[in-house]
Amino acid sequence: MGSKSDQYIDEQDVLKTVLIIGISGGLAQLLAKLILKEKPHWKVIGVDSRSTSNVFKHKNLTSLRIRFSRGSFENLFRDHSFDYVYHLARISSATVYKDLTKRLELNVMGTNRILDLCYRFDVKKIVVLSTFHVYGALDDNGIFLKEDAPLRASIKYPELRDVVEMDQVCSNWMWKYQNEVDSVLLRPCNIIGSQIANTTSKFLMSQFALRPIDYNPVFQFIHEFDMAMVLYRALNDLPTGIYNVATDEFIPLRKALDTIGSKGIPFPITIASALNKILKISNMEVPEYLIDYLKFSCLIDNSLLKEHLGEDTFRFNIKETLNLIRLN
Amino acid sequence: MLERFTLSEKERAHKDLKFKQLEERYKDYSDPWGFNLSTVKQAMDVVYPLYKRYFRVRVFGLENVAEEPYMVISNHTGQVPIDGMLIATAFATELDKPRVIHSMIERFMAGLPFLGDISAQAGSILGDRENCKWLLNKGESILVFPEGVRGINKSTQDFYKLQKFSHGFYRIALQSQTKILPISVIGAEEMFPLVFQAGGIGKKFGLPSLPITANLVPLPSPIDIYIGEPIEVPSDLSPEAPDKEIRPHVYNIEKIIKRNIHNGLQSRRKFFEWVRNPINILMNKTF
Repeated sequence: MGSKSDQYIDEQDVLKTVLIIGISGGLAQLLAKLILKEKPHWKVIGVDSRSTSNVFKHKNLTSLRIRFSRGSFENLFRDHSFDYVYHLARISSATVYKDLTKRLELNVMGTNRILDLCYRFDVKKIVVLSTFHVYGALDDNGIFLKEDAPLRASIKYPELRDVVEMDQVCSNWMWKYQNEVDSVLLRPCNIIGSQIANTTSKFLMSQFALRPIDYNPVFQFIHEFDMAMVLYRALNDLPTGIYNVATDEFIPLRKALDTIGSKGIPFPITIASALNKILKISNMEVPEYLIDYLKFSCLIDNSLLKEHLGEDTFRFNIKETLNLIRLN
Repeated sequence: MLERFTLSEKERAHKDLKFKQLEERYKDYSDPWGFNLSTVKQAMDVVYPLYKRYFRVRVFGLENVAEEPYMVISNHTGQVPIDGMLIATAFATELDKPRVIHSMIERFMAGLPFLGDISAQAGSILGDRENCKWLLNKGESILVFPEGVRGINKSTQDFYKLQKFSHGFYRIALQSQTKILPISVIGAEEMFPLVFQAGGIGKKFGLPSLPITANLVPLPSPIDIYIGEPIEVPSDLSPEAPDKEIRPHVYNIEKIIKRNIHNGLQSRRKFFEWVRNPINILMNKTF
């Protein structure tokens, strides 16, 4: 039997409304399921610019396909009173949006608008999903980069400019409005799982993935369920700030591929870089930064996250995380 | 000629025993650079015959190495980092309790295809303070060449001239209160007896140096490794102290290594005297 204060908190919890931007994605749906399971009376509004036909059905979940424009978001915030906002709709350069200007508009300006609306409409907390890619995969990377490490990705890779700028827009905004709105910026390592269709998961599962023979960078992985749990716990357990998200474990890429049972095609990545330059002529290239992530390690420090969430934050160890990806 | 590369039964058994001991020591060890015991074994299989037979390495001062982490500081000689490989082999095969010593390598080398990967698997790390701190916290020892590229890439007339040490290693030792183990290597300069440094051309190709040598394969110069007594670092000196306070301590280490080089040169084994003597006369030197 709970105490009076617990009951008070529960009653307060009943009426919360959460906005998840990017609901068509696998991670966003895992998060929505988790929220609806843990907080059965909460209401979740999920929006995406992509089709929402793949979104699961639940009586407390409304999924909407909207244009990511200022007007659409303003209407959304006027129609609902959001307590919490999750922004999980960062558009990767590995997607159909090859045009950097378009991505800058969506990622940077779009994020700025969402943050502005959170302030104007008294949102209590906003959680933004960035990525460890902002640090860049460089040959002189130190180990376990902390949150205050310089974001060097855009120096080497212009195609990551929008990702870095989005991260910086959030962190600048965070400190400016820290007394008005709680905000959390998460920079996770490689999120993998059977429900998430990101580039890393696809790469690891593909039988035709390039298996580097000349480089063997060390990777960190986090299971999609663990990542969804971190996002969920960010509401109550993480104070305003920037957090790297990774487990304590790491694994060399070739060992990770062996663990999954993915043979791949042994290939010197040095040649892949040159080949990519040729493919660029026909506009068929893969983003250069992804090739560098197959050459150099970019490991992130998780001590700040653990300070708030505890040592036993993650359910899956790295071996289980890799094995579970095969269950697709 | 073949005996220069082939181990005797006894030597092979010794190598296998030492690897077993290493296997036991590092069975639960992993590091964020991709350390791999099977690569260490492959490296030992290749390097130990060269160490034992080709370079006929002798190690002095093994009694100075206790079962604790060290910052191993050595002079750097010989155009290519064979000296580092031989020191690492000495620590892996000559100690009662063998260990993998983690060499700090240049960024240039760490980024090279194949080589960067293999050296990382064998225990090398990019020369970075955070990397050192991580390893020292794990109780591992680090091999540092504080002369850097200036030490390894010398022309003939500068052989065995110890270059001024940088101070970074000492600051790390102060911060972690790790003892310094001074090492002097004799014989590596003679692997490439005639060298001209074309550094200017090398820089144009992004290379840290470009030695032009008379021989492409290192000559079988006998190598002596002198391990000095461990040097404690002061507990009352801040790692952030100005250079002028750090310099006397670093100078003291330079002095010990220089002294051991000097003594070692007196007792080195004869090698290609017909090459060495004309060079000595030419350079008016007695290296």
